[in-house]
Amino acid sequence: MAHIVLDSCAGRDGGREALEAAAIASLQLDHQITVVGDESDITAALQKIAHDAERLRVAHARDRCEPDMDAAEVLRQAPRNSVVVGLEIAARDPSAVFVSAGAPGLVVAGAQQILGRIPGVPNAALAAVYPTLRPHGPVSDLFALLLDVGATVECSGDDLVTFAAMGAAYAGKISRIDRPRVALLCNGHGISNAPARAREAHRRLLAAKPAFEYVGCIRADSVTSGDADVIVTDGFSGDVLLRTLEGVAATGESLLRRAAEKFQWRVGVQMLSDGISAIREFTDWENYGGAPLLGFDRAVMVTQADSGRRAFLNAIRLGAKIDRLQVIAGISAGVAEFHGLGAPPASPPDPEAP
Amino acid sequence: MTSDPADPSEPTSPEGQALQPRRFMHLRWDLDKTYLRTEFDTVKDLIKTFRQKAEDKVAVAGASALLRALLDPRERSHRRVTFISGSPRQMRKVLTAKLALDGVEPDMFILKPNLENLLRGRFRAIRGQVGYKLKALLLSHMAAEHVDEYLFGDDAEQDAFIYSVYADILAGRVDAVALAAILSTCKVYRGDVDEIMAYHRQLFGSGEVVRRIFIHLERRSPLDRFAAYGARVVAIYNYFQGAAVLFEAGALEPRGLLAVTEAMESDGYTPERLANSLQDLMRRGVLHFATIERMSRELAAAESTMGRPVPRFLHAFEDAIGSLENLQRPGPRWESEINYLGIYHEARFRRQQHRFLGIRLLD
Repeated sequence: MAHIVLDSCAGRDGGREALEAAAIASLQLDHQITVVGDESDITAALQKIAHDAERLRVAHARDRCEPDMDAAEVLRQAPRNSVVVGLEIAARDPSAVFVSAGAPGLVVAGAQQILGRIPGVPNAALAAVYPTLRPHGPVSDLFALLLDVGATVECSGDDLVTFAAMGAAYAGKISRIDRPRVALLCNGHGISNAPARAREAHRRLLAAKPAFEYVGCIRADSVTSGDADVIVTDGFSGDVLLRTLEGVAATGESLLRRAAEKFQWRVGVQMLSDGISAIREFTDWENYGGAPLLGFDRAVMVTQADSGRRAFLNAIRLGAKIDRLQVIAGISAGVAEFHGLGAPPASPPDPEAP
Repeated sequence: MTSDPADPSEPTSPEGQALQPRRFMHLRWDLDKTYLRTEFDTVKDLIKTFRQKAEDKVAVAGASALLRALLDPRERSHRRVTFISGSPRQMRKVLTAKLALDGVEPDMFILKPNLENLLRGRFRAIRGQVGYKLKALLLSHMAAEHVDEYLFGDDAEQDAFIYSVYADILAGRVDAVALAAILSTCKVYRGDVDEIMAYHRQLFGSGEVVRRIFIHLERRSPLDRFAAYGARVVAIYNYFQGAAVLFEAGALEPRGLLAVTEAMESDGYTPERLANSLQDLMRRGVLHFATIERMSRELAAAESTMGRPVPRFLHAFEDAIGSLENLQRPGPRWESEINYLGIYHEARFRRQQHRFLGIRLLD
């Protein structure tokens, strides 16, 4: 049973939808759920929502973070904010999964301060899934993994190879791929014109004998082809790429809405409505369950700032799956093997376990 | 059914010295979904329930432990339990056997005359509960001077509504005119109305005897659905919560609380789930921090007899309330005037929304 620690101060409707997702999860899933935020607000809101109080706990966060503050400012001026309190709870419980729609910068900064780092991981990576044309692995997973998408903007070659090891271990556990295909994101002129960090990572990945298959460089126009199960890049480029993919999907949506201008077009769109709904469902980011923040000894899920009930619920489900499949231990082992660090230390036994 | 209780007004010590009059406690329990885990949402469920043997019936976690603790042999002479169930009278044998298996011996066991209702064409009475239960409650009211009543129902039917009307009749807050309006709105049959009105004439203003009405949230209904009834109605997610409230009220001994905790844990409740349940009561202002501290002390004192579960529970509990230690939440208010017709129509509107517009009942 996982322990889901949910930050209810961010997300759609001022975090109200995060709370609703927690209430639904308490009724549908057999997990311990801790909702972090202003206790009196949460208790008042819970009165109106069907929930299971046996599975739901509230942790009070005294300070509220303002949206226009940067991470350092928040940690200084609002030290007992919901992200910090939530991460502290997660740090105390090995089965905890922290879920937040707070600013990724704040979550990363908070995690760096509070959580333990996986040995051999200098910097964390935010991993996002995106739909591809070819299925991946034995479960025909249609999604591939892209990391980093914003946790570490300034990356070194060492960071990139570590991201490759973490991403491969994650895909191996979640998509059950034995030897995930890992690629480096490059520009259109191949590795020779790539930045020094990418060249270094390319050289080291070619030289190493990793547990994954390194397939070399991949251009941005091929990321949706499905030729790679994991694509590695720095936080800046990854964020740009992810936003571009989301922007294209949003443009497609608005083009469809413009079709309503003409009667014939409207009829055409109506005839294609089933297919359009299927594509919409496939590309809807709320279905993916947020982005796992990899590199720490606890599972951390970051969802988009305007996440609704569905996005939070899927993030909770994915977080519980990460706990069940022991993905963090898998990443730890993957990184240790890649860097030749030997087996990671076994987690200490729970002193309260019978 | 058993005989009427002994007169509680003048208890004496073995030496013949007069003691302070001890208060009688009358426990009123619904059966299905309150005491027993029963499914009767479909015809198939109904048939299955009807055909179940006593040993196949399962009590809600902690229910029998709580009832046994409340009916402790040392207190039994001053305690009485009445079951009022919507199950048909034909099930008396199997239900009595089930209660006997659980070690519970009811003083009174009232079941619904469904076959009679069917033969007389009183179809509304088969599904309706207001006329039947209100009449049964008034009929089985124990005319003792010093009596505290604790009522147990669930959110699957109209228990909170019926129990509150009953309590307010005794307290003298629902007069004949108001009661007639309620019964008419609830479409209670004329014969039942006459009987209820006759009981009302006898019992109106008997006193403030109903201390608490516990509603087991079998359907996990939102809590604000019970807010209009005031503090007398306590919605509970499990019987550990009920035991904690009764412990605070002085109606349950620490050993009883311990027995319920133990029963819940052996039924699969983790210390975290129990701790969450207590935190919920504390946040709602139903339970006070001082009570919880006292509970922790009592449970810790029992550590040596219980083994591991108690310290694990206490550890989980410290975690749950640690950050809320300074919480001073005012409890729900005791309502002196409840708008029963308003509550009835609101519930009816909600059911219609569910039926015709597909809006989920739990939203």
